[in-house]
Amino acid sequence: MSVAATGTLPHRPGRPTHLRRDLLFIAVIAVFLWSLVNLGLRLDRLIELPGKLLGIMEAMFLPPDWAYVDVALPEMVVSLQMAWIGTLIGAVLSLPLGFFAAHNVSPRPVSAAIRLLLDGIRAFPEIVLAVVIFVPIAGLGPYAGALAIGIHSVGTLGKLTAEAIESIDSGPVEGVRATGASGLQLQRWAVLPQVLPEVVAFWLYRFEINVRAAAVLGVVGAGGIGSLLAQTLNYGRYSKTGLAIIIVVVATLLVDQISGRLRRRVIDGPGSAGPDAAQEIVDPALVLAEGAPRPIALRPS
Amino acid sequence: MIRFDRVSVTYRGGVHALRDLTLEIPDGQFVVMVGLSGAGKSTLIRAINGLVPITSGSVFVDDQDVARASGRELRRIRASVGMIFQGFNLVKRASVMDNVLMGRLHSTPGWRSLLGRWSAADLELGFEALERVGIVDKAWVRASDLSGGQQQRVGIARALAQQPHIILADEPVASLDPPTSHQVMRDLKRINEELGITTIVNLHFLDLARVYGDRVIGLRGGELVYDGTGAAADDGAFRDIYGRSLTAEDVLETPAA
Amino acid sequence: MTAPTPATGTPRPTRPRRSPFVALSLLAGVVFTLYCAAPRPLGIGVDLGAIASNLTRGREIIAQLLRPNFAFFPRTVTPLIETFQMAVVACLIGCAVGLPLAFLASRVTAPGRWTLTIDRWVLNVVRALPDLLYALIFVAAVGIGPLAGVLALIFFNIGVMAKLLSESTDAVDVGPVEAAMAVGASRTQMVRSAVFPQVLPNYVAYSLYIFELNIRASTVIGIVGAGGIGNVLNTQMKFFNFSNVALVVLELFLLVLLIELASVSLRRRLV
Repeated sequence: MSVAATGTLPHRPGRPTHLRRDLLFIAVIAVFLWSLVNLGLRLDRLIELPGKLLGIMEAMFLPPDWAYVDVALPEMVVSLQMAWIGTLIGAVLSLPLGFFAAHNVSPRPVSAAIRLLLDGIRAFPEIVLAVVIFVPIAGLGPYAGALAIGIHSVGTLGKLTAEAIESIDSGPVEGVRATGASGLQLQRWAVLPQVLPEVVAFWLYRFEINVRAAAVLGVVGAGGIGSLLAQTLNYGRYSKTGLAIIIVVVATLLVDQISGRLRRRVIDGPGSAGPDAAQEIVDPALVLAEGAPRPIALRPS
Repeated sequence: MIRFDRVSVTYRGGVHALRDLTLEIPDGQFVVMVGLSGAGKSTLIRAINGLVPITSGSVFVDDQDVARASGRELRRIRASVGMIFQGFNLVKRASVMDNVLMGRLHSTPGWRSLLGRWSAADLELGFEALERVGIVDKAWVRASDLSGGQQQRVGIARALAQQPHIILADEPVASLDPPTSHQVMRDLKRINEELGITTIVNLHFLDLARVYGDRVIGLRGGELVYDGTGAAADDGAFRDIYGRSLTAEDVLETPAA
Repeated sequence: MTAPTPATGTPRPTRPRRSPFVALSLLAGVVFTLYCAAPRPLGIGVDLGAIASNLTRGREIIAQLLRPNFAFFPRTVTPLIETFQMAVVACLIGCAVGLPLAFLASRVTAPGRWTLTIDRWVLNVVRALPDLLYALIFVAAVGIGPLAGVLALIFFNIGVMAKLLSESTDAVDVGPVEAAMAVGASRTQMVRSAVFPQVLPNYVAYSLYIFELNIRASTVIGIVGAGGIGNVLNTQMKFFNFSNVALVVLELFLLVLLIELASVSLRRRLV
C-alpha cells in the first residue's frame, strides 16, 4: 500500500522474459523438424496408410477366426505363466538387492556399487538377455523367456525398492534400534513394514508390464502368444491374427484390472477395492464439501 | 438483484442444506451471513452462481433463473458474479497476473486463452484490479510466494477483473490473522461503496459481522432465522442463530479484559 | 479367555481375527506359481538343473557381453541416429495427441460421463497391446522402414501418456477448478488455466520417460523391420558376435543415461 508522496500509483512492473525457457522450446522444435526431415519417411506410404490399415483391420476382425481360439488360448496362458514366473524371480531377487542398494540402510560404497549393477542389468533389453544368455542355457521356450524377464525386472524393481526404502520415516527405525535390535531384525521390523505395501504395488505393476514383455518375447522364439502373432502376420493369415489380438487384449485388460484392484487394496487398505467411485464426474463444489477421494500415485517403472 | 424463491437444496445422502428459503437482496447491498458450519451458508452462496444445484424453487440473479440456465447462459451469469474463497483457490504455480486475468476468461476468445496471450485491454483491467487492492508490484510473482493476506487480495482482484455486478465471499478471512482479516474486510467494504457491487460475505466471526455488516442474515439448519442490521445484532440474536451461548471461537478478537 | 482376572476385573480381549485376505492370496499365489513352473505343456517347465549344467557356457557369454567391441562403432552410428530421430518424432507427436485424450479420460476434466467411460476403455485397449504388435501391424501396412516404427511408437505413446496424465489430473487440487467455473470459463479454458499448470511438471516428466521407453523399444521393433538399431542388434545376435552386441547395449545404456540426466536437470529447472 505504498502510494508515493507525489500521489502517483506505484510503478507497474514489466512482464518478465523467459529467455532460457523459450530457447529450450525452440531447440526442441528444431530437433523435431530435423529428425522428421532427416528420417526420410516415405510419405507416399503414409497416404496409403488409412486404406491399407482399414483393409488389415477388416481382414483381422470382420470376422476373426474364432476356431483359432483352441490354439491361441493355451499360448496366452503360456505367456501369462512366463510373465508370472519372471516377475516372481524379479521380486524375490530385487528385495534383498533393494536393501543393499539403499543409501540409508547400507554403507555408501556398497549401495553405490549395487545401484550401478542394477542400472547395468536394466540396460540389457529382455530380448538380448533372452536370445543371448538364456536360450543357450535353457533352450528355446518360455523358461528362457521367464528368466530373461526375471533378470531384467530385477534391475527396475531393485531401483524402485531402493528408492522406497530411502524415503521412509526414520522414526520407527530409531525406535526399534533403541530396543537393541540387530541389523537384520531392524530391517524386518522397522523398515520392511513401511515399504512393503509400496513394494508389493511395484511387483503387481511390473507383472502388468511383464505380461506385455512375455507377448513380445514370443516373437523371438520364447513361445507364447507372441510367436502366433508374428507367424500369422508374416503369412498373412490376418483373421487368425485378429483372434490372437483379441485374446491378448482381453487377457491384458483382465490382468490390469485385477492387478489394479490389488494394488489399491495393498496401498489403501481393505475396503478400497470396491466398484470404482473414481468413475463419477467430479463436481468441485461437492467434492470440497465432502473431501476429495484419493487416487493412486504410482511412479513409472 | 438476487432473489431466492422457496429454495430447497438436499444433498445425496439426505442432508437438507437449505429448506424452503425465500430471500431478496437488492443491488449494492453489503450482506453478511452467519451461522454454524452446516447451517447452509456455503450452499446458499453457491446456489447464486449455480455451483450447487438446487432441488426445488428458483434462484434469480438480475431476473435470470440460475438453476434452469443453459451452459452458455450459466457461464454468462457466472461471469457477472465474482467469487472469493476461504482457501483462495489460486493456481499456485502461475503468476499473480495470470490468476487475476482468469476473471477475464469469459470474454477471451479460445485461441488467446489457449496460448495464454492476454489482450492489452485485459492486461489494463488486470493492473487496475491489482492497484485497487494494493499489490500491483507483485503482478508477476508466483502466487504461492505470497502471504495468505496477499493471496486473498489476488482473489479479490480476480473477482474485480470480471467487472462483476455481484461479489460472493465464502469465509474469506477464516484462514487469516486478525489484522489481515480486518484489512480484507475493509477492502471488500470499500469496493462495495466505491463501485456499488452487491456483496455477500459468509462469516464465521461474529464481531466482524457486527462491525462490517449493513445487513446480517443468520442461518440455522438451512432456514433463515435472523435478518437485520449489524448494529442490532446483539448477543441474544446470535444465541438464537447458534442455538447456544457464544464462545471464544466465535469471535476474531477477544475484547481486552 | 473371557473370565475376568481377579486383579482388574475386566475381561482380556481376544485377539481380533486376521482378515483371511492375506492368507488366501498368498495361498493362491503359491498354487499358481507351482502351476506355472510345472513341466510343459502344463506350465513353462522350470528346470533348475539346466541352469546349473550350462553355467560355464553362460559365464563365457556373459564375459563376452562385458567386453564391448569398440571397433564396431562406425557401423552403429547411422542406426543409432535413426533410433534417436524416431524416438523424437514419435515422442513429440504421441505426447501432443495424448494430452487432450488424457483430459477426456479424467473425471476432473471430462465433459461428460459417456466420454469419460468410452475414452478410458479405448485407452485401456490401446495400452494393452505391446509396442511390438503395433510395429508388426504397421510393417504389414506400410512396409519395413522407420515409418512403421514411428507410427507404432506414436500409438504406444498415446496410450501411455494418456493413462499416466489422466491419473495425475485426477489428483489435482480442485480449488482452482472451482474458481475457473465460478468466473464463467468454458471447460477448455478451465482445463488450460486451472488444471494444466498443475500437471505441467508431471507432463514433462512423463514425456521424458516416454522418450526413454521409445529408445529402449527401438531394440525390439527394429527386429521386425521397423527401423532403428534393433536390426543391427538382431543380426549381430544371429551371428553370435556378442562383443558387438555388447557395444550396442552400451551405446543404448549411455544414451538412456544422458536422457535421465537431462530430465533431472530439466525438471529441476521447471519446478
